[in-house]
Amino acid sequence: MTTPITRRTAFGRVAGVAGLGLAAPALGRRAFAAPTGQIVVGTWGGDYQNLQQAHVADALMKPMGVQVVFDTGNDTVRKTKLMAERRLPRGSLDLAALTASGSYEMWKNGALEELDEGKVPNLRHVLPELKTKYSAPHIYTGRVVLHNPKLVRTPPTSYADLWAPENAGKVGVIDIQYQTTIESAALVNGGSLNDYEPGKAKLLELKKAGVKIYPTNEAMAQALKTEEVGLCIMWRARGAQWRAAGIPVEVVFPKEGVVLYVSELAVPKNARNKEAAYAYLNALLDPRPQAAFARSFGYTPTVANAAVDPDVAPQVEFAPEMRERFMVQDQEYLAKNDAQLQEWWNKVFKA
Amino acid sequence: MIRGGLTAAGLLAPASAVVIVGLVLPLVLLFRYSLNRFEPGQFMVEALTAENYLKFVADPYYLAVLRTTLLMAVGVTLASLVLAFPVATLLARAKGGLKTGLLLAVVLPLFVGNAVRAAGWMVAFGQRGVVGTLMEAVQLPPVALMYTPFAVFVGILAVNLPFVVLTLSSVLEGIEGSASEAALSLGATPFAAWRLVTLPLSLPGVLAAGVLSFILTMNAYATPVLLGGPRFRMMAPMVADEVLQQSNWPFGAAVSFVLMAVTLALTAAVGVLAGRR
Repeated sequence: MTTPITRRTAFGRVAGVAGLGLAAPALGRRAFAAPTGQIVVGTWGGDYQNLQQAHVADALMKPMGVQVVFDTGNDTVRKTKLMAERRLPRGSLDLAALTASGSYEMWKNGALEELDEGKVPNLRHVLPELKTKYSAPHIYTGRVVLHNPKLVRTPPTSYADLWAPENAGKVGVIDIQYQTTIESAALVNGGSLNDYEPGKAKLLELKKAGVKIYPTNEAMAQALKTEEVGLCIMWRARGAQWRAAGIPVEVVFPKEGVVLYVSELAVPKNARNKEAAYAYLNALLDPRPQAAFARSFGYTPTVANAAVDPDVAPQVEFAPEMRERFMVQDQEYLAKNDAQLQEWWNKVFKA
Repeated sequence: MIRGGLTAAGLLAPASAVVIVGLVLPLVLLFRYSLNRFEPGQFMVEALTAENYLKFVADPYYLAVLRTTLLMAVGVTLASLVLAFPVATLLARAKGGLKTGLLLAVVLPLFVGNAVRAAGWMVAFGQRGVVGTLMEAVQLPPVALMYTPFAVFVGILAVNLPFVVLTLSSVLEGIEGSASEAALSLGATPFAAWRLVTLPLSLPGVLAAGVLSFILTMNAYATPVLLGGPRFRMMAPMVADEVLQQSNWPFGAAVSFVLMAVTLALTAAVGVLAGRR
């Protein structure tokens, strides 16, 4: 049925069209602002990626209409990519998973977008000691000492116990953890988080005592399992994973203090789909995936509003008095010294 | 004539284009990178400097890595030639089903990637590995095999042997059996016949197989990384380490050019020496 067009209805229609016309830019803006389309997330592979796929990409992003594609690799490769693409108008990543050092370095080189609660509302729940201007801290853990009570009879209480005469030959270190190993040795020998130099002499003592060097974290896990070694420096989260896998180790918080490891995600300045990238960061900080990462991965939630299941809490939560004494790495120092530390490690310590 | 030249150029063009785009241009770019400067925290800074090459030749640490790589390449090549010659001779003389069987036995290991084979050796050499368990069973003292140069030597030798055997046997097949029979009929011992007749005739094959094994070892990556462990260093893993772990592209590029130059120079030198004889 057609309604005859009278002057009044005609006027109404014209007004309606005009109104639509006025509303259109606003609608258009909102449509542009709503996250949609595809994003490319550069991340470490394995469980870290699988958990993101299940608890963030599938559970939260898909219902929003955002398709997530993972670009798997290690963070050095991602940093190189960000640096190489820095001057291009459009980069290949919408999000990059980086260590705290990595994202600081990329920020200093002008490769990252500044973030705030306007863009990523859940950033307001992030623990104050983890906050940065340029990244969303995704998960964190602390560095601890692991020991096998069968091989190391007196439980260690500090990093210094790695040098105790009765532990000679029982200590293992990990090649890829050169930076944190030198740092721990520095803390024993009068150094600090902005002076790792005293660690070098201390590590040469450990070498003389017969330290074993393993290429990767996994090789260290294997060595602990076969009881080749019984004492090492490790992340608490890894310790929890290894205990769950039946490796006989106990976790000790060193007297020198707990230094944090933070895994972050950041948005490159030349990301193609920033709105969806911000939405992804917001989803990462949502209490549900945060609790899922704590349960399956042993890392601690970075947001204050995430509730960890009671059976998981003892392995991942830090007591408030320990949180007050958390030590945070000096990223400026590391950016300037990492290459030199690694060179020393390769040429002198491993030689 | 002109038309013939054009046809030849047309036929050469696609392959040449692939080589230029896929090999020459990246090499030129890599060489340019090797003249840049590395600033910690800033990645690669544009420059025209020889400091990366100077760093390599001035530092005993890097020269030691090159020496290890060269020793490994020469050692593996000699061992593989000695081990492969009898097998290649057998393969060249075999007929029918036996030949097919032998050929399959030589070729089959090539179906498994280097990294997977190295993983197999890791199982064999590990502290609770096959070799360790066997030695324990016969009351021998345990020997640490994993993360030693010996483990790398065995691993690379196993990778190279099929290539060396196949190259040698194809040349040995072309040598008439009558030549060595003539020597034997004139009173030569089997070894003298082999040394004076078969070996000289097969020299081009020995050379080709040796060069192949040498180049493969110089550029070996997976085997030294997986079996050599953190303390053992060869050139190719060092290139990867500089580029991927330290983000030091200029030095990584310089190291790869040193590796390429040394490999090419030695290969060419062997070719020239052999040509003179």
